[in-house]
Amino acid sequence: MTFDIAVGERVRTVSVVRKGAMLHVTLDGRTLVVDARRVSDSALSMLIQNGHDTRAVRSIDATFAWQEPGRRSLGEGGDVHILGRAIPVEIRQGGSFGRQKKEGPGGSGAGPQRVTAPMPGKIVRVLVKPGDLVKAKQGLVVVEAMKMENELRAARDGRVREVPAAEGQSVEAGAVLLVVE
Amino acid sequence: MLKKILIANRGEIAVRVIRACRDMGIATVAIYSDCDRAALHVRLADEAWPVGPSPPRESYLRIDTIIDVAKSSGADAVHPGYGFLAENEDFAAACRDAGLIFIGPSPEAIALMGSKTAARQAAIKAGVAVVPGTEAPLSERTSDAEVLAIAGRIGYPLMLKAVAGGGGKGMRMVASPADLPGALRAARSEALSAFGDGAVYVERRIMSPRHIEVQLLGDQHGTVLPFVERECSIQRRHQKVIEESPSLAVSPELRRRMTSAAAAVARGVGYTNAGTIEFLVDADGAFYFLEMNTRLQVEHPVTEVVTGVDLVQWQIRIARGERLTLTPEALLTPRAHAIECRIYAEDPENNFMPSPGRIQGLRVPHGPGVRDDSGAYEGGEVPIFYDPMISKLITWGDSRDHALQRMRRALDEYDVRGIRTTIPFFKWILEDADFIAGRFDTAFIDRKLGANGAALQKIEPEHEDLAAIAAAVHLFTKPVSDGATAPPASSRWKDTGRTEALR
Repeated sequence: MTFDIAVGERVRTVSVVRKGAMLHVTLDGRTLVVDARRVSDSALSMLIQNGHDTRAVRSIDATFAWQEPGRRSLGEGGDVHILGRAIPVEIRQGGSFGRQKKEGPGGSGAGPQRVTAPMPGKIVRVLVKPGDLVKAKQGLVVVEAMKMENELRAARDGRVREVPAAEGQSVEAGAVLLVVE
Repeated sequence: MLKKILIANRGEIAVRVIRACRDMGIATVAIYSDCDRAALHVRLADEAWPVGPSPPRESYLRIDTIIDVAKSSGADAVHPGYGFLAENEDFAAACRDAGLIFIGPSPEAIALMGSKTAARQAAIKAGVAVVPGTEAPLSERTSDAEVLAIAGRIGYPLMLKAVAGGGGKGMRMVASPADLPGALRAARSEALSAFGDGAVYVERRIMSPRHIEVQLLGDQHGTVLPFVERECSIQRRHQKVIEESPSLAVSPELRRRMTSAAAAVARGVGYTNAGTIEFLVDADGAFYFLEMNTRLQVEHPVTEVVTGVDLVQWQIRIARGERLTLTPEALLTPRAHAIECRIYAEDPENNFMPSPGRIQGLRVPHGPGVRDDSGAYEGGEVPIFYDPMISKLITWGDSRDHALQRMRRALDEYDVRGIRTTIPFFKWILEDADFIAGRFDTAFIDRKLGANGAALQKIEPEHEDLAAIAAAVHLFTKPVSDGATAPPASSRWKDTGRTEALR
């Protein structure tokens, strides 16, 4: 089976074939022999043979915070936890979108930036008004949730187009607070 | 007497108190809000009673409801934990009026030491130095001009602090008179919303201070015993994130002076039960009384580890009238070095944005020299309504280096999936040369992070390759899903955060 997997800045094509007790995993033209054991629904122990020397085996423990397709705006994927790092991955449909290599899951995209409430909370302060020019990382609006005030910042330079948020207003997660173009 | 204790709290501290009760054969009553029905403290307690909707004001802060539950359940004592009602003299008084033992100081001591200005007076009376500042609270009606005049006499840079404050809320640093009106407005509004009291006071800012505190226990027979100090300078936005004991900045001679000063303040106000005196210590080792916390501290485990004393058990023993039988000298002689990291459900790579949601997977570190005080479990929810701390990871060893090595190992083992946590942030600090050498003050973290945060963890192409391989093998070997096992979209806001690139 072949999977197109977006990680970081690029999409990697990984194919997996079962050979006896082992899996042969090919990535970027390199084939690795992997002894894979499912430890649980969301945990995997992999012993990865290092090239020709079949005695040198690397132990890689991978755990997953996985979202099924339809449960997630971006399609199937989630976080792979590996070597103490949480790495977001996204499965692209094989062949169709996979070749476009547009963006990894962490990309910020183009077009107007819609600043939304990351969680239910209260608008404490609105720091800009429509028409203001803003710089990347400039504070736009302050939302209070979980006992803390959180400043939401601009992803990049732009001009404030709309400010639906009002100070003192309670907002739900996902509510659009501001649009910057 | 004292057969059943109601724990007026939630999260890891409720679990901690339940464990102490179990150790002593005392029955436990948990309380819970709507969203905490399946929380760990509810599951571990002998009894659990609902106290209202999820917002704290409607549940964990409802004195009337909690007293009712305590009486109905037949509890004879109440442990407040920290936060919520722990430093609320009305609650302590309501317990007393209802014939319940409040496991903490008297309402009078809470009221006295809870007022920052009255606490300063108590320290001065006990002969302990305080940071120069206003001796009377500045109410919301005090004009900007008056505050500016007072500030001019005290000198810049200075700190504005909420009279009823704590935990860094309602607190602002002011570098010059021009910044004062804005900072004053912010401090008052934060104080008003957090504590219902907008009064503030002004204090001169000590340059490059360390925050070092002394744990105390006082019994009802006049004995007050201090413990070896805790170093709490590692703070982010005035919130402690790492604590350790002992402090590298405290010599045995300074320890003797600081702990005696702390005990003198507590004795002067007839203090009973557990409490902590916080000091600012400047570069020359001069120390100033900062405030007293009239409750058990979040960071109490580091003291338990270095002295071998179970502080929560002693809180209960003191409350039932026992005498302190601990050896004073032993409490001042650390038998290990301990360090604690507060694990928060926050995304350190995204401006420490809260990251509530379902914990899809959890692996907790174990092994020699490791303790995890947690309210989390796999499948559990981190609600949006409360403080986002999910656990405290404590490690210890023969030396500071030993404790740090174990902390690095434990953090590597710690795997929390489905929500973001501050674990990567701690791994990053633990590699910092200045932190390792003990060269820090209270502004250390904010300085290191800078205005826009820092890249805490490097993800190399090799890590990405391995993640892709793991994902492919995961899909290839995954049992066919019937769709029923799919978890709720707990990371929806996280995805949103990413798409919007809120950095």
